[in-house]
Amino acid sequence: MTAIVEIENVVKEYPLGKLKVRALHDVNLDIRRGEFAAIAAPSGAGKTTLLNLIGCVDTPTSGVVRIDGRSTSELDDGGLTNLRLHKLGFIFQSFNLIAVLDLYQNVEFPLLLQGGLSRKERDARVREVIEKVGLGQQIRQRPNELSGGQRQRVAIARALVTRPAIVLADEPTANLDSTTGRNIIDLMREINHKEHTTFIFSTHDPDVMERADRVIKMADGRIVDDGRGASAGAA
Amino acid sequence: MASNSVGLLLRLALRSLKGHRVKVLIVGSLLAFGTFLLVFGTTLLGNVERAMEASVTGSLTGQIQIVSDKAKDQLAFYGPQAAADQDMGTIPSFPEVKEALLEIPNVRAVVPMGRHIAQPILGNELDELISEVRGAVRAGDADMASRLSAKVRRQLGVLLGEYRNRLALSAASEEVEDGIRDLETATSDEFWADFAQDPEEILAFLDTRIAKLMDDNRDAYVPFVGTDLQAFAESFESFELVEGEMVPEGQRGFLFNKHFFEDFSKNKVARILDKIHEARTLDGKRIALDPGLQAEIAKARKFTRYVTDQLDPVQAETLEAELGRLLPEEEGTLDEKVSAFLAVDDDNFDERYRFFYDTIAPMVRMYRVRVGDTLTLRSFTRAGYPKAINVKVWGTFRFKGLERSALASAYSLVDLMSFRELFGLMTVEKRQELDSIRAEVGVEELSRDSIEDALFGGSDDVVEEYAAAEIDIDSRVEGIEAVTADLQDSFRPEDVDEGTVLNAAVVLRDPTQLRQTLRDIEEVSAAKGLEVKAMPWLAVTGIVGQLILVLRAVLWVIILIIFVVALVIINNSMVMATMDRVSEIGTMRAIGAERRFVLSLFLMETLVLGAFASGAGAGLSTGLTLLLGRTGIPASSNDFLIFLFGGPALHPTVSVPNILFGLAAILAVSVISTLYPARIAASIAPVVAMQRKE
Repeated sequence: MTAIVEIENVVKEYPLGKLKVRALHDVNLDIRRGEFAAIAAPSGAGKTTLLNLIGCVDTPTSGVVRIDGRSTSELDDGGLTNLRLHKLGFIFQSFNLIAVLDLYQNVEFPLLLQGGLSRKERDARVREVIEKVGLGQQIRQRPNELSGGQRQRVAIARALVTRPAIVLADEPTANLDSTTGRNIIDLMREINHKEHTTFIFSTHDPDVMERADRVIKMADGRIVDDGRGASAGAA
Repeated sequence: MASNSVGLLLRLALRSLKGHRVKVLIVGSLLAFGTFLLVFGTTLLGNVERAMEASVTGSLTGQIQIVSDKAKDQLAFYGPQAAADQDMGTIPSFPEVKEALLEIPNVRAVVPMGRHIAQPILGNELDELISEVRGAVRAGDADMASRLSAKVRRQLGVLLGEYRNRLALSAASEEVEDGIRDLETATSDEFWADFAQDPEEILAFLDTRIAKLMDDNRDAYVPFVGTDLQAFAESFESFELVEGEMVPEGQRGFLFNKHFFEDFSKNKVARILDKIHEARTLDGKRIALDPGLQAEIAKARKFTRYVTDQLDPVQAETLEAELGRLLPEEEGTLDEKVSAFLAVDDDNFDERYRFFYDTIAPMVRMYRVRVGDTLTLRSFTRAGYPKAINVKVWGTFRFKGLERSALASAYSLVDLMSFRELFGLMTVEKRQELDSIRAEVGVEELSRDSIEDALFGGSDDVVEEYAAAEIDIDSRVEGIEAVTADLQDSFRPEDVDEGTVLNAAVVLRDPTQLRQTLRDIEEVSAAKGLEVKAMPWLAVTGIVGQLILVLRAVLWVIILIIFVVALVIINNSMVMATMDRVSEIGTMRAIGAERRFVLSLFLMETLVLGAFASGAGAGLSTGLTLLLGRTGIPASSNDFLIFLFGGPALHPTVSVPNILFGLAAILAVSVISTLYPARIAASIAPVVAMQRKE
């Protein structure tokens, strides 16, 4: 099984006034296709930074991040945007739905950005993912008319609609109660099983970590425990 | 991607606008107001320009004016420049110019002209009255003589009052003091005691000492245009004879502009009452609500002497009795009663207006000058000589639609021969005759250089002016004022064109081809060496044309200010909106929206808002224009507005180019004001989507 995410000797520094703060120290990590991986760390340990690099919304100060074989450092803004649009799906902690669009339109949004599909194909795809996340009845509701769990389901549908290779989820259950959070993880897990979509999510919730194939633990910008082997090889 | 993304952008833009109602309301109203002002302003101004063009070109100037290419001043028909002495030179050979210009297909007529100003000399009322007394005495009509002498005594009383006022207002001068002394004598009972027995001595005193104390009636100046009257009447379609008849071809004669004539010639009290009557009936004005009318009434009440001075004792008694019936509670002198009578209000105006014309008017001379009278006009020639001629007033005229505008009625008309006399232009023969006389007498000609320049450059049959040395003003005024006695009443029609012409009006068949015709004229002038230049009507209207330019400038400054304000407000509100939407935009970027998409989204929002708002503004403006087009914007007896509107009301029409221009300009402003916030939005990094919002 090839690695869909390859991280080699990655260092990430942020300027803080005149100082430079090193958020990642020489990180090495491979994520294989179809993995269901959790990055677990306390706040400030570098897990969001790592997720940003994998999500192509940021590039490393040194080292290489390869997504599906392409080094992100070699891409310009347009190239990175294209990569995000076609290879990645995002699930945000605060759901980040577009308030002025209804559920259906939010899910449809990335497909419209991608283009290429006929209206009919698009419609079928959108309805399919909405059914998958169990929101078929609320299709015309606006984000502010949905509960937190429902919103995160919409976010999952939006992340999946383009059939990405990787879905990145940044603490997807942090803003949800534990039952809802568990349901969301169940949903992600199910999709991971059925579609072999790679899921990488950050969390500091032990319940969530338990359900992951692999838990990558971080502290002070370093990977301290890769967790590989615990329950790896779901695919 | 393209069509999908335009649809998506549009949908996102609409949704986003719905979600930001306050911003939409503020920016939208501003854009709508801006469009409204722009479209309505330019439409109204365009309409005013067209209406004024009709006023100006149809009444006096034609679409084009021709002047000598050596003219030193800018020709101006209205405003202060028109009153000033303008050195226009003369058109070297008018017949040649006329013939050449008439060959241009779009030229319908070429009318020769010249502007000048003269003072009508109406004589001294006291002088005339004393003559009447003398006539009655000579005729042995003692009764009439006594009635007239009472009228004289009443006038002397008024004059004495005026002199005392003059003394009180200014430093005492010997002249005024002497006048008062003589007037005191002449108003005393002793002075008149022997009138029945020995009137001659009294009349002699009045003739020699008193008559001169009253000023001649030369209070007004008459601006006039000397022209080929027949050609003028035929070429200017709005010309219309009101009273009298047209000056017959080949005859000298004067035509008063009716509006000017009423102001100038009619009894002042009657004129004021007419104006109030007009304002009430035509403009629906109410005295109680109109300070202007109230001021007119106050003025009329001070002018009672224009009624009472003209009454002999019998008439005065009659009027007193009639007023007694109308106003039984009023007491005091006849003047006070007339003044009380003139204190009109909305309730009694119609009744008193009738009373004035039924009872008072038949006893009073209503017009100082009447159609059919011979008028003495005095003016200064270009060279500075005073010159006076007698000319018959054949009638009055008006320009249809502009009859109530004093500005459009500024000029009366006179035949070209009389004009040339008053302006100081001579025929070639006259000039030669004068030269030979000078040679005989041995007088050296002294002339002002400027006049020589203007005059001696022309061709041979150009007529010339009297040339004069520098003469001091006082001696000029006191000096030569002899009415030209040998001026014939008639002339050969061909003389009209042959003599000198200062400027000429060109009337076009198709006024929209103005620019092309101007070029044609310049070409013809250059090719044939006519030595003339052509000016479009707006350039020769003086202050009126400048006013249009000022109005245009003011409108554009207002629009510019609104644009700048709109720019700043839209910019600010969009920047603020961008700050509110950082997370949303970051999310879009993270999901895969390119910078260009974000930029387009912001522009689309403004475009959609701008389209709706400017559509509303343009719609409002069009609606208002259509409404005003139907009802008309009343000039409400405002002289200047009548002129600007080309009549009593302006009926504006909708202009599609103005609407399109307004829409385009507002959309451009919207887009420009959105560029900066849109760029800020586009620079939002996708990483912000990942940031915590706790």
